[in-house]
Amino acid sequence: MRAGMIMAASAMLALVACGEAADRPAAPATDRDGGVVNLYTARHYDSDLALYDQFTAATGIQINRIEGNADQLIARMTSEGAASPADVFVAADAGALWRAQQADLLQTIQSQTLDTRIPANLRDPDGKWFGFMRRARVVAYDSAKVQPTEIDTYEKLASPRFAGKLCVRSADSIYNLSLTGALIEAWGPQKAGEWVKGVVANMARPPQGGDRDQIRAVGAGVCEVALTNSYYYLRMASGEDAGDREITQRVALGFPSLDGQGAHVNISGGGVTANAPNRDNAIKLLEFFASSAAQEHAARYNNEFPASTDVTPPPPVDAYAAFAAHPMAVSAFARRQPEAQSMMSDAGWK
Amino acid sequence: MEVGHAEDPSSRAGRGFPLVPVLTGLAAVVAGLPLVGIVIAALSGPGADIAARDVWRYALTSAWLALLVGAITAVVGSIAAWLVVMYSFPARRFFSWALALPLAAPAFALAYAYADLFDVAGPLRMWMRAGLGFDLPLEIRSLEGAAFVLSCAFYPYVFLAMRAAFLSQAVSALEAAHVLGSSKADAFFRIALPLARPALAAGVALAIMETLADYGALQFLSVQTLTTGVVRAWSVYGSTAGAVQFALPLLGAAALLLWVERRGRAGRRFDSASTRWRSLPETTLRGVRAAGAFLFCLVLLAVGLLLPVGWLAWTSLRISPEWSRLIQSGANTLGLGLVGAVVTVMLATALALGARRMPLAVRLASLGYATPGAAMAIGLLIPASAVWTWFPGAASTFWAGLILLIYAYAARLMAAALEPVDAGLSKVTPAMIWASRSLGQSEASTAWAVQLPIARGALFTAGLVVFIDVLKELPATLILRPFNFDTLAVIASNYALDERLGQAGWPSLLILAISIPAVIWLSGKVAGSRPGH
Repeated sequence: MRAGMIMAASAMLALVACGEAADRPAAPATDRDGGVVNLYTARHYDSDLALYDQFTAATGIQINRIEGNADQLIARMTSEGAASPADVFVAADAGALWRAQQADLLQTIQSQTLDTRIPANLRDPDGKWFGFMRRARVVAYDSAKVQPTEIDTYEKLASPRFAGKLCVRSADSIYNLSLTGALIEAWGPQKAGEWVKGVVANMARPPQGGDRDQIRAVGAGVCEVALTNSYYYLRMASGEDAGDREITQRVALGFPSLDGQGAHVNISGGGVTANAPNRDNAIKLLEFFASSAAQEHAARYNNEFPASTDVTPPPPVDAYAAFAAHPMAVSAFARRQPEAQSMMSDAGWK
Repeated sequence: MEVGHAEDPSSRAGRGFPLVPVLTGLAAVVAGLPLVGIVIAALSGPGADIAARDVWRYALTSAWLALLVGAITAVVGSIAAWLVVMYSFPARRFFSWALALPLAAPAFALAYAYADLFDVAGPLRMWMRAGLGFDLPLEIRSLEGAAFVLSCAFYPYVFLAMRAAFLSQAVSALEAAHVLGSSKADAFFRIALPLARPALAAGVALAIMETLADYGALQFLSVQTLTTGVVRAWSVYGSTAGAVQFALPLLGAAALLLWVERRGRAGRRFDSASTRWRSLPETTLRGVRAAGAFLFCLVLLAVGLLLPVGWLAWTSLRISPEWSRLIQSGANTLGLGLVGAVVTVMLATALALGARRMPLAVRLASLGYATPGAAMAIGLLIPASAVWTWFPGAASTFWAGLILLIYAYAARLMAAALEPVDAGLSKVTPAMIWASRSLGQSEASTAWAVQLPIARGALFTAGLVVFIDVLKELPATLILRPFNFDTLAVIASNYALDERLGQAGWPSLLILAISIPAVIWLSGKVAGSRPGH
């Protein structure tokens, strides 16, 4: 048995060694021919892999990637310190980018391409991060019971009209935190606090599940309105699941307006890390993410809205792309997430 | 690792190189470093501004969950083990290994499946409302629902430990009970159960520690435990110090639990007086009793495995997965699982062998298992950071990443291996060790020639538990893995976070496919581990 165990151990070490060595460069993260960029990303969509392949095909630069939760990646970069191999950090929420910036993990980039392609409100004023795709936090509603005019502002969601008829996910959702942060930025803490209390009072059930679950709960009649990110609805409406497609026949997507200026918009974006060993390639990657082709790809396969105004999104995103987006700088609400969390917790939003 | 004897043979100074103590020390350092890391991180800065009310809510939820899962797994696992060992009924042989199978299913996969199956907008309940006119008052995304899901996932720990314990019980004690007029139920409660108490404690301890450390399932079920506090402090307030501060009370509670459990066992050594091992007496059940036993086992297997896995397969088969990514991750997962199991069991064995000398080290080593995975990830970054700082090239090399990952598994899962190894080594009586030592054998060669062969069934069980735990491991893998390296659990978790459950089903099913043969094989080893057979 002992001999067996030792044999098994050696065999497995050999197996891992061969398996790994066969399809991996010996030192994947070092810059051998000027042809590598190391990406730490909180995006983990299969369609992004095709995008990375396109980048490699166009530039000859290999992408090494680690996907993970944004804050785990931030903690890892902090621990790696100056030795960190990370060149580019990408997150799917402005708050995470702001926390990376606060931790001194990002550096200022001067890029004509990025500055012209990305609207000023969707990037950091110091050029430490840039938003490439937009996601609107909007409302899925039961089209048989709710009129579009009943959800055309965020205030109305917290009104007694929807007492016991609103589904939301937990206060730990970064998208809810960013929305509340934006409301604090727009209205001040007093009015935003009243709104949060109104939402808690209107909850049809304790916060649970993801955005897709909120939309499905509207479809199942648990509630009449729900907060969701735009792309979840679009994905359900055009996805492989027949049940989900059927639900979106009865559930519609509405874009409430904040102070008459449009719906709350968050970003998915990235920046070059402070100690990037392959800085030039990192900038090339960011510029690639900002390109029309890359934005169109993400819009097509992940149903996000492009950041650049000159990109025409493909269906099904195009049907909604003309929505009014609030021009608030995303950096403004990003820093208000902790304040939003405390406010929501005080109001009993679990 | 019983410590009830004044003269302990292993404490006698050996000749030559003190191999066993050195290995024990090494294993203790491996398991202890991340815990030291947690304490350092907790002291490194101000905490997060999370209301005391929320902290209490998290703590109470964690406590309730641990209590419920502990109670359910103890009862269900013990009954199932007793039935398949002591009674003969239809499909008994099948159930005796099949009931361990839910161990192959990751808790997060059961959570995905049950939440989806009983979702208020899922096909089942939509159909019930439309077709039958009523709805199930069922909420999987609740404390009770989570306790149910985690009990399904973790009862095999108790089942396996209790089955091994019942299998190795002495016939003489049961016969004595029978001669004295005890019924079978009496014999269970008054003889078998007390004798199997260390195994029960070990099994339930594993189930509870897994519950406290759970990362994927509870997050998915929106049950807010101390892990939620860790994640909230970390993600929203950006405070790793605040995050690990949540883990400190849990570490304290786990330490207390382990101390109580060890103390309860101290001085109660049940050496068998008999060296004669005969087949256990089996009672053949008939009629209603046989049907009852059969149904109990069937329902257990159905809720633990067949129903959730069937549902996952049903939802996944309609979706075409990214095969190349799945296969690559599957190979990574398999390799990591095997190497992780061997390394962890070797370290745990070293720890258990030297446990008499360093009882504190053993207790400390077990704490990592009960620490919330998210906090453990932060703790692991401290030793990792040392490696990255001292060897600046290491952060980017593939092998350094892999070795760190194996290290992380050993540190996180040491207790999972330690409990069975420890139970197995405790079967070696001091008299046997004395005999070996008085024949001039060193401590190390006594361990090699006497203790390890006797404990081999337990070492297999330990290997099984660690292997399967590595396949399911998330937080350490997420934070420490090298570039371009995914495991099946990571892919499943990413799909689930992205709310693509059909896609998340595929890697979950592959984890099952890899671990089921291991569960069957090693479950068979446990069955054959009755001394004298």
